[in-house]
Amino acid sequence: MSLTLRRMKYGTALAGAFCRSQILHSSSSPSSWAKVVSEAEKIVGYPTSFMSLRCLLSDELSNIALQVRKLVGTKHPLISTARGFVYDSKNNLQLRGLVVLLMSKAAGPSKTADPPLEGDLVSGIYSSQRNLAEITELIHTAFLVHRGIVNIMELTSSHGSLKDMQFGNKMAVLSGDFLLANASIGLAQLQNTKVVELVSSAIGDLVQGVYYENSRTDEEKVTDDILMINWEEQTFLSHGALLAKSCQGAMQLAKHDCEVQEMAFQYGKHMSLAHKAKVNGNQADYAKLHRIIKAGKGVSSSLDLCHYHGNQALEALRCFPTSEARSTLENIVYAVTKF
Amino acid sequence: MALPLSRCCAWKGRSVFASGALSACGMFNGRRGRQTHPAGFLLGGDSGAGTRSVCHGRALVKEQHLYRKIYLNTTVYKKQNSLLRTPSRLMCTTRTKCCCNQMHSDKQYKDPYTLAQKDLKNLYDEIKQQLAVSSDLKEICDYYFDGKGKAFRPMIVVLMAKACNLHHSNSRELLKSQHSVGMIVEMIHTASLVHDDVIDGSDTRRGKITVNKIWGERKAILAGDFVLSTASVALARLGNNSVVSIFTQAIEDLVRGEFMQLGSKENENERFVHYLEKTFKKTASLIANSCKAVSILGNCGPDVQEIAYQYGRNIGIAFQLVDDVLDFTSSANQLGKPTAADLKLGLATGPVLFACQQSDGVQQTCYLAHQYCQEAIRQISMLHSSPERDALIRLTEIVLTRNK
Repeated sequence: MSLTLRRMKYGTALAGAFCRSQILHSSSSPSSWAKVVSEAEKIVGYPTSFMSLRCLLSDELSNIALQVRKLVGTKHPLISTARGFVYDSKNNLQLRGLVVLLMSKAAGPSKTADPPLEGDLVSGIYSSQRNLAEITELIHTAFLVHRGIVNIMELTSSHGSLKDMQFGNKMAVLSGDFLLANASIGLAQLQNTKVVELVSSAIGDLVQGVYYENSRTDEEKVTDDILMINWEEQTFLSHGALLAKSCQGAMQLAKHDCEVQEMAFQYGKHMSLAHKAKVNGNQADYAKLHRIIKAGKGVSSSLDLCHYHGNQALEALRCFPTSEARSTLENIVYAVTKF
Repeated sequence: MALPLSRCCAWKGRSVFASGALSACGMFNGRRGRQTHPAGFLLGGDSGAGTRSVCHGRALVKEQHLYRKIYLNTTVYKKQNSLLRTPSRLMCTTRTKCCCNQMHSDKQYKDPYTLAQKDLKNLYDEIKQQLAVSSDLKEICDYYFDGKGKAFRPMIVVLMAKACNLHHSNSRELLKSQHSVGMIVEMIHTASLVHDDVIDGSDTRRGKITVNKIWGERKAILAGDFVLSTASVALARLGNNSVVSIFTQAIEDLVRGEFMQLGSKENENERFVHYLEKTFKKTASLIANSCKAVSILGNCGPDVQEIAYQYGRNIGIAFQLVDDVLDFTSSANQLGKPTAADLKLGLATGPVLFACQQSDGVQQTCYLAHQYCQEAIRQISMLHSSPERDALIRLTEIVLTRNK
C-alpha cells in the first residue's frame, strides 16, 4: 500500500475515533457539558478534537498504532489510554486546548503592547496561540501515555505475558517521547523563550505532582493546614500547572501585561482545582480533608472546596471584557462545579 | 596522521569495498567497488549466533594487535598510499603528514579532559542544584549525576566554546551561557539514557544498576521527563531563539533515532545508510548541535558555526562506531554496561553490517571511524590555533583508542 493511502486509511480511522460527537460521557450533566463544549468550539473556529491529529497521522505514530493492536487483551495501560481518547473519562479534563483558545479570544489583542503585535487574527485568535493550544494537548497526551507505563516487577500473570508488557512499555515510552519532541519543536517555533520556559516548567510540574501522589506523608504527623496546602500544591502540580501556565503563555504571546497574564493563570489554576475537587470528593482519602474543611477555614464542605475554586476562577475572569468567549469560560466553570 | 589505533585496520586490498561503503554513506568520493559476500553473521539475536560472532570478534582483536605492533614500529606513513588503490580526497598525504608531525609532541596537544577540568569540576553539582526537588525524584536525579560519568559531551562543548571564542574574539574565557550549554547537553543525554534503558530493558549502566531496575520503569521514565524539562527551562533562560531551535532539533533527532532502531531495511546498501543515519540521529546530532550552539552564543559567524557543527557531527559518528565495536568485542566488566547487548536485541550495528559483506566487520568499522575522525580534524583545523583546538584534535585519537 502506498504511503499516502496508508496515511489516509489510518487517518480516517483515527479521525473517527477522536470525533468529539462520540465522546462526551460526562456522568453529571451530559447535555449542559456537551452544549458548552460545542458552543466553545464554534467560538474558537474549529473542533479542537482534531488538533493533535496532524501529529497522530505521522509515520511513527501510525506504526505504533499498528503495533499497539497486539496489546488488546492484555492489561497494559496503553490500551486504556488509547481508549480514553475515544470515550472521555470523567476524570480527564480533555479541554485544555479549548480553554487556551477561549482565553486567547476573551483577552483579545493587547492594548498595551508596544510595538503592537503583528499577525492575523482568525476568529480572534493569533496563530501562535493556536499552536500553543495544540502543544498543550500534546504535552498532556504524552504525559498520560508515560504515566501508563507498568513496573515490570509488580506484574502478575493476570496482566498478560511479560513479553507483551515489556512491548507495551516500549511503545508507551516511544510514543510519549515522540509527542514531547513534537511539543518541543512547536515551542521553539513560537520564537518566544519566555513561553518556552513557562511551558517546559509545566512538564516538570506534572512529574513532581505524580511523585507527590506516590509519596503521601504520614497523615498523623501533619497538621491540618499543611494537609490542606499539600493537597492544593500537589493537585496544582499534577492537574493545574499545565493549563494555568498555558493560559498565561497565550497571554504572553499576545503581549498582554502582567496583570492579564496573572488572571489567565489564576483561571487555569482554579478551574483545574475545582474540577479535581469534584472528582475526588468521593474518595476515602478525603475523609480527613472534609473534617478540616468543616472546621471552618472559610469553606464548609468538600462541595464547597469545589465551589470555592470555581468562584476564584470566575473572579479571575472579571478583568476580561465581556464577550462570548468570556461567557463560555464562565459556563465551563458552572458545568464543572455543578452537582 | 598518527595511528596508535589499537583496534584499527591495516590498509589491505579490500579498500575497494571500503570506498564502496564510504560512498554509500555519502561522505567520500571513492569509487564504488564490488562487494564480496562470504557467509556472514546472522542479524538475529539468538544466543548461538551471538556467541559465534563474539568469538570471531575476539580473533579479530588479536589480529589487530598484531597490526598495531607493525604500525608503531615502522614508518608506515609513506607506505599508506601504495596500499590504497582508490585514494579518497581525504587521504591526501601532505595534509596527513603535517598532522602526524605535529602530533608527535604531546606537549603541544594537551589532554582534553585536563584542559576542560577547571570548567567542568562542578558540573554535576550544578546540575543537581537545578534538579533540586523533594522525594524519590531527587534521589533518582542524583543517582546518575554522581560525578562518575565521563562528561564527554560537556567537555567537547567547553573546549569548542573556548576554541570558537578565541577564533572569533581572541578571548579564551568561557561565557556563562556556554557553560550552561554544557550542563544542558549532559542533562539531555542522561535523560535519553534513562529512557533507552527502559526501552532495552537494561539492568546496568556506568557500572551501576539502572534506575528502572531500582525504582521501576514508571518512575524512571517520569524522572527522565523531569530532567528533560529542567534542561529545556535552562535552555529557554539563555534567551536565544536559534539555540532553542537547534536543541529541540537534536531532541527530535534523538527520538527519531530510537524509532529508526525499530525498523529495518531489505537492501544491504540501504541498511548501511540507515545505520549511519540512525547513528547520526542518536549520537552525533546532540553533539553537533551543542557545538553549533556554543559557537552561536560566542557570536561567531555562520562559517565558524558550520565548522563547529561538522566537528561535532563527525566525532559523534566516530564515537558511536567505536562504541559499537566495543560492544562487540569488549567484556562487560570493562564497559560498565551490557555487551553484545546490541546483538541480543537484534540490532544491526556497524561491525555486524560489515560482517555480512566481509568477514572483518570490526576492522572495517574501525576504518570508517578513523575516516570520520580525519574529517573532524580537517574541520577543526580551520580554526585559529589554540590549546583547546589542539585538545579537540587529540580527542579524536582518544575516541579511536578507547576501550571503555
